[in-house]
Amino acid sequence: MDELVGIDVGGTFTDFVYLRGRHLIVHKQPTSSHNPSQAIGHSLDKLGVGAKAAIIHGTTTATNALLERRGARTALLTTEGFRDVLVLGRQNRPQLYRLTQKRPPSLVPEERRFVARERLTSDGAALIPLREEQLHEIARQLRDCGAESLAVVFLFSFLNDTHERRAAEVLQELLPELKISLSVDILPEYREYERTATTVINAYVQPRVGRYLEHLAAALGERPVWVMQSNGGTVDMPLAAKQPARLVLSGPAGGVVGAFTVSQDAFQTKKPQILTIDMGGTSTDVALCHGAIPRTAENTVGDLPLRLPSTHIHTVGAGGGSIARVDTGGVLRVGPKSAGALPGPICYGKGGTEVTVTDANLVLGRLDPDHFEAGGTLATQTAYEALARLGSLLERGPEAAALGVIRVANATMERALRRVSVEQGHDPRDYTLVSFGGAGPLHACELAEALGVRRILVPRHPGVLSAVGLLMANITYDASCAVLQPMATLMPHPQPLTQSVASLGRQVSAALSGEAHITAALDLRYQGQSYELEVPLRLPVSPQHLRTCAEGFHRAHLQRYGYSAPHRPVQCVTVRVQGTLPGAKPALPRAPEADRPVSEARTGNRNVWLSRSGAQEVPCYSRQRLMAKHAFAGPALVFQYDSTALVAAGWHAKVDEQLNIVLHHDAFADAAH
Amino acid sequence: MLHTEPDPVLLEVYRHRFAGVAEEMGVTLQRTGYSPNIKERLDYSCAVFDAGGAMVAQAAHIPVHLGAMTASCQAVLRATDTWQPGDITILNDPYQGGNHLPDITTVSPVFAGDTLTFFAVTRAHHADVGGMSPGSLPLSTTLYQEGIIIPPVKLYRAGALNKDLLSLVLRNVRTPAERRGDLDAQRAAHAVGERRLVALSQRFGLPEILRYASHLQAYSERMTRAAIATWPTGTYSFEDCLELPSGDAPVIRVKATIANGSVTFDFTGTDPIIRAPLNTVLPVTQSACYYVVRCLMEGDIPMNAGCLAPVTVKAPPGCLVHATPPAAVAGGNVETSQRITDAAFGALAQALPDQVAAAGQGTMNNVTIGGLDKAGQPYAYYETLGGGMGASSLAGGLSGVHVHMSNTLNTPVEALEMQFPMRIREYSLRSSSGGEGVHQGGDGIVREYELLRPATVTMLSERRRYAPWGLQGGKPGKRGRNTLTCAGASEALPLDGKFTKSLEAGDRLRIETPGGGGWGLRP
Repeated sequence: MDELVGIDVGGTFTDFVYLRGRHLIVHKQPTSSHNPSQAIGHSLDKLGVGAKAAIIHGTTTATNALLERRGARTALLTTEGFRDVLVLGRQNRPQLYRLTQKRPPSLVPEERRFVARERLTSDGAALIPLREEQLHEIARQLRDCGAESLAVVFLFSFLNDTHERRAAEVLQELLPELKISLSVDILPEYREYERTATTVINAYVQPRVGRYLEHLAAALGERPVWVMQSNGGTVDMPLAAKQPARLVLSGPAGGVVGAFTVSQDAFQTKKPQILTIDMGGTSTDVALCHGAIPRTAENTVGDLPLRLPSTHIHTVGAGGGSIARVDTGGVLRVGPKSAGALPGPICYGKGGTEVTVTDANLVLGRLDPDHFEAGGTLATQTAYEALARLGSLLERGPEAAALGVIRVANATMERALRRVSVEQGHDPRDYTLVSFGGAGPLHACELAEALGVRRILVPRHPGVLSAVGLLMANITYDASCAVLQPMATLMPHPQPLTQSVASLGRQVSAALSGEAHITAALDLRYQGQSYELEVPLRLPVSPQHLRTCAEGFHRAHLQRYGYSAPHRPVQCVTVRVQGTLPGAKPALPRAPEADRPVSEARTGNRNVWLSRSGAQEVPCYSRQRLMAKHAFAGPALVFQYDSTALVAAGWHAKVDEQLNIVLHHDAFADAAH
Repeated sequence: MLHTEPDPVLLEVYRHRFAGVAEEMGVTLQRTGYSPNIKERLDYSCAVFDAGGAMVAQAAHIPVHLGAMTASCQAVLRATDTWQPGDITILNDPYQGGNHLPDITTVSPVFAGDTLTFFAVTRAHHADVGGMSPGSLPLSTTLYQEGIIIPPVKLYRAGALNKDLLSLVLRNVRTPAERRGDLDAQRAAHAVGERRLVALSQRFGLPEILRYASHLQAYSERMTRAAIATWPTGTYSFEDCLELPSGDAPVIRVKATIANGSVTFDFTGTDPIIRAPLNTVLPVTQSACYYVVRCLMEGDIPMNAGCLAPVTVKAPPGCLVHATPPAAVAGGNVETSQRITDAAFGALAQALPDQVAAAGQGTMNNVTIGGLDKAGQPYAYYETLGGGMGASSLAGGLSGVHVHMSNTLNTPVEALEMQFPMRIREYSLRSSSGGEGVHQGGDGIVREYELLRPATVTMLSERRRYAPWGLQGGKPGKRGRNTLTCAGASEALPLDGKFTKSLEAGDRLRIETPGGGGWGLRP
């Protein structure tokens, strides 16, 4: 492909990464809430994007529809006796110590929850056959309640799909306009609550996402469009419109894919070991890649489980917009409340009145007030005054107060990084910290030191790495189905599993409309456990490969949980198949070696507070002028269009061929020799 | 103790550091634990105590462990003359630092050089510790029927396992391999706690660590006292009761006194110990009161000894909320603790009408079903059911959830039916069971089991005779109801709240759990 554009729509900015031949053009513009697809179309024209350029799109339409409860008028049809499965959930309350707790309103209120008289047994037999007459009455009720979208989830349908499919056929004929989502299509796995919630989420966001994608297609003309999914791969528009539940957690996925592929290139390895930290305005996303992009199906969105594969990411409420305050006990707290994009930090001058992490960075001299992200300017004086007020409550000066704000925000992020590393059995010292998002590279050194991390990578375009990740993503589709058989039974007689894999493979190839590369995995557990681990299964299915898979399970269990029990029976719960078509995977431009000294990238000095002992002169560099093999030592600041990086004292920076900055720490550099 | 004023930034940073230690201990215990109780129901707690036995941080999962962890640490301190690195003391004796026998607590010292600096403490609910019935939650009348009793004794001395002691313990339980695994998991959590605390003192210096441990306790105490100081002073009384199969209804009486930024719960006047497993030891009663106070705090005050200092709990020995040996206590944890919570809230509601919620379902509806499966293999299935939460001045109560002292997950119907010879006929909300009011109480749950093979069913439930109360004119929630429809019969027979019964294939057991109380008089 000659031209490729990654478009990542975020809450504040829409990021464009436009690759034309060997040129990468980066553009940010405020997200239009009014008419987003039209705004995107205009930007492409302004950037001069060709009429045949391929577009890879990351959208939060599905996410926002769900979180803000702005989805379709949705109805639910379930087995008689189980009308309330969606509300009962797992019967735990969200907060342990709150007397007043509210749940967000249910996606399907009681008056739109219907039941059908039908029942399958736990081996898939029809105990009560579905009678079609009753569907006419249900169709009438659906019409009366004005349902736009319907989820159909019957008990044990993952063992026998005939009732769900027949119900859909009859209802669709009676109500041709109704959008219908079947649990056997969305998530044919066992556990009725998780399956119901996931299917209902799909039904709930489908009409809105469908309309959005239609408008987008109109605005983009002939250009082919791919949409990012939660799993870090892309799908084409029709599939995205049909199964939008697969897009709900796509927001942070692009960043991890971007960090991973940039690291593969930078460190010349297929399996980089990285800790990613994506610091945005309201929150920070962290992930640990142990040689691969981590996946999970155990997701929660708002208060609902969403059991479709996604990139495994941990999010904490600390970002540039997190609000600092002194509580009644005299302690400085930062977040989780955020000033968001509007009014935003005080220094944005859009009416914000509460001190944020960004204000603190500005007062410390770590941001350039005249050239902030995407060419904005910042109001230093008002931020300074606010920090002075915060400082007076803490009996210290404004800069010392600002240092405190940064330190507390870092403590929250450090805990998040520990959560994905130490607590999962991984030593952070074995990983490279890849720091991105507008604010990430400002905090990277202090976090690395706290965790004992020896190496940091700051990508060439930290502020738009998610959009870069879009360009790098493969085209993928996941499908799964329930198995629920002991491995001891499957090993000598793998035929049923062979058939499942073949059928899922056909489903995946049809979805991707191409010769996909097929991989498989099994969700396994020790008999009696109620959670599973996903273990790769080599194809074709054979007794030998199943045995290897089971052995892999024991090892994974040992790594994750500290023990394994090779003599206990292993049960296969779910089989997963993933189809992959290689994405565009363009080579990012490589920079020629420096033909001028690093001093030419120096833009001067700034007075920066690095510690409470006062401001010091810190050399500043322009990222645009930094060339491959340039090297310099901290303390230093690096300014660029979409981000700012702080290289702390004791760290050595070196620019690589992709123009990433790689930092090493003195103390560890010695140890490496 | 505090020589210097704390730095307000470092105080917050240390809050994260100490909480992080307790949390990492908890994750280790969960990762390495064997039994479903620990791995999936998260029925455990981990904490760090200072050398004097005052709590520095606790990873909170289980409200009923709140105060009881402190009692364990202090019982161990009383029982121990000398500590060496690598020691681990074990206990479950309710009358010496435990709460009921299935909860096994371990305590180990953390040293910096020769100085004893901290204690790491873990507590986990073990699935079986022997006694008269599997699962060790029997319908007992004395402690000796409930399982093996372990006073504070050293399981490890300077890192060396006391094998004789371990053999003795394991010989007294039904599932020794699983117990062994869970005890190893607790030891692993201690190792992590110790490693993290030592690393912290190496990095930041022991004096600073110790100073901030004290500062954090002082901070939590200050915050808690400041909140209580805003409550109207006075003495407020309330009483609530339990339900015994005999028809008796033993009463829990409490007087809550608010004065000078502290609150005292005095249970004088509560009925004496009963010959049923529903007595509680004082630490459980304390936990319930600490839980009540914690629910009334704004923001997240770090959990440590400072939160507990402003709360005093008095109960005369020999009453059912301050049991003395050898009273039976197995179910006190799961059912009576709920009623103590209700009583304490009922008292405080008079002082804080806008903050306290009406009574929730007030029971865990414990169901145990056991028999032989299709293959002739014995099985035992245990589950607890949620119900209605009480309404408050701000909102209605949640429906179909566990309230107060419990917060465990249910088992999916599809998982249940594939594993056990039973079929769920209905699992839904119990419509209109929440008490009416300006804000309505949460609804209970309906769960109907059809047995596919003969089985024995044991039920331990409350609020079948006395409904969860409403507040400020709100109506009570509906009482729970247990009924049986025998195979082929059309009429449902009423059952008591607590029973053991043999049922036949085709019999249907229907459990309707209580609704929560309503809040405010509806005009």
